[in-house]
Amino acid sequence: MTRLDAAIAGIGATEFSKDSGRSELRLAAEAVLAALDDAGLSPAEVDGLVTFTQDANQEIAVAREVGIGDLSFFSRVDYGGGAACATVAHAAMAVTTGAARAVVCYRAFNERSGRRFGRPDAGLAGQQSSQGMEMSWHVPYGLVTPAAWVAMFARRYLHAYGATSEDLGRVAVAMRRHAATNPAAWFHGRPITLADHQASRWIAEPLRLLDCCQESDGAVALVVTTAGRARDLRRTPAVVTAAAQGSGAGQMMMTSYYRDDMTGLPEMSVVGRQLWETSGLTPADIQTAILYDHFTPFVLTQLEELGFCGRGEAAAYVRDGGIELGGRLPVNPHGGQLGEAYIHGMNGIAEAVRQLRGTAANQVDGVRNVLVTAGTGVPTSGLILSGVSD
Amino acid sequence: MLTRDQVEVGAALPELSLDLTPTVVVSTALATMDFTPVHHDVQVARGQGAKDIFLNILTTMGLVERYVTDWAGPEAVIRRIDVKLGVPAYAGDRLSFRGGVTALADGEVTVGVTGRVSLGDHATGTVTLLLPEVRP
Amino acid sequence: MTGEELLDLAAKQAALGELAGAPADDPVNVPMIRHWLAAMGDRNPVYLDRGLAPPAMAQVWTMTAPAPGDRSPVSVMMGALDEAGYTGVVATNCEQTYHRYVRVGELLTPATRFTGLAGPKRTALGEGFFATWVVTWYAGEGEPVAEMLFRVLKFRPPEKRAEPYPLRPSVNRDTAFFWDGVRRGELRVQSCADCGELRHPPGPMCPRCHSANRAHVVARGEGVVYSYVVHHHPPVPGRETPFVVAVVELPEGVRIVGNVVDCPPESVAVGMPVRVAYRPMDDELVLPVWTPGEP
Repeated sequence: MTRLDAAIAGIGATEFSKDSGRSELRLAAEAVLAALDDAGLSPAEVDGLVTFTQDANQEIAVAREVGIGDLSFFSRVDYGGGAACATVAHAAMAVTTGAARAVVCYRAFNERSGRRFGRPDAGLAGQQSSQGMEMSWHVPYGLVTPAAWVAMFARRYLHAYGATSEDLGRVAVAMRRHAATNPAAWFHGRPITLADHQASRWIAEPLRLLDCCQESDGAVALVVTTAGRARDLRRTPAVVTAAAQGSGAGQMMMTSYYRDDMTGLPEMSVVGRQLWETSGLTPADIQTAILYDHFTPFVLTQLEELGFCGRGEAAAYVRDGGIELGGRLPVNPHGGQLGEAYIHGMNGIAEAVRQLRGTAANQVDGVRNVLVTAGTGVPTSGLILSGVSD
Repeated sequence: MLTRDQVEVGAALPELSLDLTPTVVVSTALATMDFTPVHHDVQVARGQGAKDIFLNILTTMGLVERYVTDWAGPEAVIRRIDVKLGVPAYAGDRLSFRGGVTALADGEVTVGVTGRVSLGDHATGTVTLLLPEVRP
Repeated sequence: MTGEELLDLAAKQAALGELAGAPADDPVNVPMIRHWLAAMGDRNPVYLDRGLAPPAMAQVWTMTAPAPGDRSPVSVMMGALDEAGYTGVVATNCEQTYHRYVRVGELLTPATRFTGLAGPKRTALGEGFFATWVVTWYAGEGEPVAEMLFRVLKFRPPEKRAEPYPLRPSVNRDTAFFWDGVRRGELRVQSCADCGELRHPPGPMCPRCHSANRAHVVARGEGVVYSYVVHHHPPVPGRETPFVVAVVELPEGVRIVGNVVDCPPESVAVGMPVRVAYRPMDDELVLPVWTPGEP
């Protein structure tokens, strides 16, 4: 991929809650204004908007609310949380090519007080679309929740590598430990022990309640512009060193059970390969990573797919404290979606920016490059964000 | 007691109305040697979709006969009873018979009979009988 | 049995003519008459005064339950109608003719003739057949004293429709063959009609040779659990928790998702052999499921 000329110049968010008490559009507008204020840009200077296909707030509606005028670029990315980093990728391509000068990426929802993704949707298989047909091989059997879809992969992974529920639990314990010292996190001040994890009820064996991320109300917005312009704005820019989307052979939406192997995430491998090739970096160059953690098992898989450890070695990596603050690769210093909030991965991108600015609640020392991933088990995306070299 | 010369076509029979107490339903079923549970066991009857125990057919025939002989008297000879069966006659309901003479021919008297319950016609039909020419 | 076969059977039963039944257990007697009159509230004195039975009692004298294995024409016909789904029964006509009043002391013997079956007919109760038979009661040396024509409607009760199963698959022209197969008790795997490649889930075009000519093979119905989950929470519409969903690997070389049933969830394991079975989920949908198989 051609080098991008893009940076994240501003981040904004609402509070993260279980009941925002406001409409999703209002959440979106608040987050967009906060991000623009952070960047020091006015709404009138925005000419691009990107969001998720799943977002209920159309770009034009958000533009009307915050007083954005002419838009020369708008796009949406599909596949649930897999869209998160791709919104930045699309925005970065737009500013690099000149399609837009300043693009805001946003995601806003009342995912806890409104429609909850964790709840079964019996109509999933009812659509006469390719996705409806795909779901029709799974939903009729009651395989209808994200936790159960992921649990099917997790069982095979545990079986193949001799990992255990405790190995999954250690991921949750680390995320909650990080969240405990992040005032913005829902689980601020509420760490858990491995015993707590093991005592939590089954959701879809082998996943327990504490293997599943929370459900949140809230919104996050990110302002993307060219790296050069970002340097002139209010905040230290987070340069988009690499951005990639990825889908693998035999890809399905959460149910890619028909590939030769079920222990990996080939789509994340597609993302990782591009990120490393474009950036010229290696895993050793990453000081902290934001790995999408809607469910614990795929954190292990991502460590392997991105090359932070070998196949089947992630459980040992985590057991040794590798993903904790002070470990080999601190993962999700903000507490991730298990600990901070589930804003479909967008809050993790904001955390990566804070780590590069040196303003994070749980600041990792000497952060120069942060790797960020988006939703797992679906077509996904990733970023490497870097600090500005002096 | 009626004689042939006392009846004419169109003559009405006095109405007979019976309270279908559970006792009536059960005792008539047993007196007709019909031990089918739906005629004496409420739970079984309800289990089969009925709202209660109900009259058996042999009793319906017996009551139609009684209705006509109550009117015609002991010298009447019943030759034929044709009944078309309708809605069930449940315990707790009331069965009311009405009737009238519909034909006089070849020495036979034909009486039309209808037995109604709250749900509609339980039995409709005709009873054919002989009446004495004169008082014995 | 089809409607025509039922009518054929009825014709055969009718051709058997009148068949004598067992004589009454007791002769016509005063206690039963007295009991009957009391129950009916019939105060007509003529019966007890003259030793006569009320004529409508004709059937009462021979009301014995049919012996087990009774193969009378009426029983045969009723059994066949039951089996054909006409399980409901309601009497529609009872016509009794009395040649004379019977006297105390006489022993009655019934004889039955199946006279006909009519239908199928649409009725308020459902589709059904009207079955008619005639019973004649004989006294002494074969003297007919009473006759009864009896007609019943044997009907197919309106089906109680099962609650529709909420987790319905979409079916289209690419996938209908699979669901058609399931309804016939076949587990069908799509095969390319040109290159033979097997594929599940199916699709409109062979990913290997791009042929749109599709066929299918019928899988042996055996498999091995490749992975599985035990779903506990949240509640799933149409399902009782916990339940098991597995990815099953078939010897034919494809995988398929389905429920593992008929065993405790804790007995399921990766590598467990399973066999396909078919479960109706409501009046329309059948799902293939997997039961523990022989290793």
